[in-house]
Amino acid sequence: MAVPADRRLLEPWQDPKAAPYVRIERVTKQFGDVYAVDDVSLNIFKGEFFSLLGSSGCGKSTLLRLLAGLEYPTTGRIFIDGVDVTQVPPYSRPVNMMFQSYALFPHMSVEQNIEFGLKQERLPRRERAERIAEMLDLLKIAPLRKRRPDQISGGQRQRVALARSLAKHPKLLLLDEPLGALDKRLRENTQFELVNLQERLGITFVTVTHDQEEAMTMSTRIAVMEAGQIMQVDTPTAIYEFPTCRFVAEFIGSVNLFEGKVMASEGNEILVEAGAGFTIRMRSYQPHPLGTPVTVAIRPEKMRLCAQYDPEAVNQIEGVVEDIAYLGDVSIYRIRIDEGRLVEMTLTNIQPRTEQALTWEQKVAIEWSPTSGVVLTE
Amino acid sequence: MNQTPNMQARQTSRLSRLVNIGVPYFWLGLFFLLPFVIVLQISLSEPALAQPPYRLLWEWVEEGLLQIQINLQNFMLIWEDDIYLYAFLNSLWVALVCTLICLLLGYPMAYAIATARERHRIPLLMLIILPFWTSFLIRVYAWIGILNTNGLLNHFLLWLGVIDTPLQILHTQTAVYIGVVYSYLPFMILPLYANLTRLDPTLLEAAADLGCRPLRAFMRVTLPLSMPGIVAGSMLVFIPVVGEFVIPDLLGSPGSLMVGKLMWTEFFSNKDWPLASALAIVLLGLLVIPFVLMQRLQQNLDEGRT
Repeated sequence: MAVPADRRLLEPWQDPKAAPYVRIERVTKQFGDVYAVDDVSLNIFKGEFFSLLGSSGCGKSTLLRLLAGLEYPTTGRIFIDGVDVTQVPPYSRPVNMMFQSYALFPHMSVEQNIEFGLKQERLPRRERAERIAEMLDLLKIAPLRKRRPDQISGGQRQRVALARSLAKHPKLLLLDEPLGALDKRLRENTQFELVNLQERLGITFVTVTHDQEEAMTMSTRIAVMEAGQIMQVDTPTAIYEFPTCRFVAEFIGSVNLFEGKVMASEGNEILVEAGAGFTIRMRSYQPHPLGTPVTVAIRPEKMRLCAQYDPEAVNQIEGVVEDIAYLGDVSIYRIRIDEGRLVEMTLTNIQPRTEQALTWEQKVAIEWSPTSGVVLTE
Repeated sequence: MNQTPNMQARQTSRLSRLVNIGVPYFWLGLFFLLPFVIVLQISLSEPALAQPPYRLLWEWVEEGLLQIQINLQNFMLIWEDDIYLYAFLNSLWVALVCTLICLLLGYPMAYAIATARERHRIPLLMLIILPFWTSFLIRVYAWIGILNTNGLLNHFLLWLGVIDTPLQILHTQTAVYIGVVYSYLPFMILPLYANLTRLDPTLLEAAADLGCRPLRAFMRVTLPLSMPGIVAGSMLVFIPVVGEFVIPDLLGSPGSLMVGKLMWTEFFSNKDWPLASALAIVLLGLLVIPFVLMQRLQQNLDEGRT
């Protein structure tokens, strides 16, 4: 999605003086012997669209529930807008949540659902009516106002749930798998709508998702979680291009991993011995002592075909095409380089299918540049 | 050729639908409608010294001529004699009070079981159901032993020093209330429990998230959503208690009349089957009419909302 230039500059997490809107300080949540959230520290800034990404059971939902006050941390503290809310019950927090199951009240109409939170605030009737109208308008659900949740579709329910959680004008909105129950088509449209809504209202969004594409499309920053811990927090670009550990590299997109040892170091480049006669030259952003075991990670789309195999050339390797997966826009080729290793390469299908670049059993040489991958030590 | 298996399938499906609908209708017809018609017929007949003790409504007077004689005397008597009106009002009142007490006691119990840990629920439910394994009659007799002037309860209260003279509880209206509430409480708890376990706990989380304190969340979410359970439980208590005979007979005072006891007297002591049947019909009418009206009202409300 296109990011306006002024927004690209708006990266408060880069600014050491910026005060975070949400501060999670060494929070641990235990259920019996299980550490659902394990010593997590995290800063989220005003106006961010922050995603917690991970597979099921990684603790992302628990972390969200800790922010909502539906769970209390075993240890650690949580601050929202500078106030310690660690032990504050959910009904006193300046936070609203959109539930994965939507949790709409089945005995109330769409309108009454939206009004529910406003009544708790004891807003006068006129103001409530205005807010309801505003929300019905914002989410384009005015025709449904008198219907009950069981009389509307899944997509409409999602909008009502969003309207209900936005009605109180929260400063922080928590979304638990907001698009999880929608079909693919509706999801993609809603992703853009959600981002537009967030930018227009200036609310800080924290969302939980297991869908990496969704996280990449919508977020200002992503926290990748695994086994209750945060593996990496960064912008979508940085998460994809510069993963800091093998887990993140493999979790987001596909990746070719070559294990080896550091052989030599030349300026800001290192040479990695990754098997007999196979040397990889890589740009390295940190010093690596000789002999360190490292993993080189290169994305499949960063591989190129070369016209002729040159055994002397750097970052070049020969192999045989074993599998071809045609996806329409791109094709994925799996190339066997030796007994145990397959390399994955994606090529854009510039020509129509009839003139496929490669065929099965074809001998090919592939290469990549020293700057198109990362060197991982974890 | 292709049509044949299809048609066969359609025929079998029609047959199975007929059986599906037919069996419950047959059951209702045999065990509800037929007895009802018999009772209605008796209620419109005259008592007689015979076996059974009433005269049939119809009679063949001549060849091929059927004479039907309907006797409304029984219903007139019920309308005119205050004792019956009193008995009906008293029965409804007792049933109403007992239903309310059962609801007030049963709701928290059902709620506690429904929100208990999963592995505690079945044992707790067993404790509710367990008394059913002893005969109902024996359990009511046991209450005589407890409530007697020199029974367990009075002994206990005297020992505690709360009272100096034994309380007269047995053979009072209070004893009836105690016996009825004790006997019918499970019928309130079970439907309420079934309803409350189905309640989605995230709805309460959503209410809390929207600024609702626990008590208000209960009033605005749990209570309205458990209404079907409350109605079902109340029906299951109210309807049988109105016609209850054993408990008022064993624990109640001889002076306080309930319809069930009156019916028993008419049937067995006075051998007036027609009058007893008329009482049963009036009672049925009193119970069914409000029920039907309530359902109508509910339907109208539902339609009004859409």
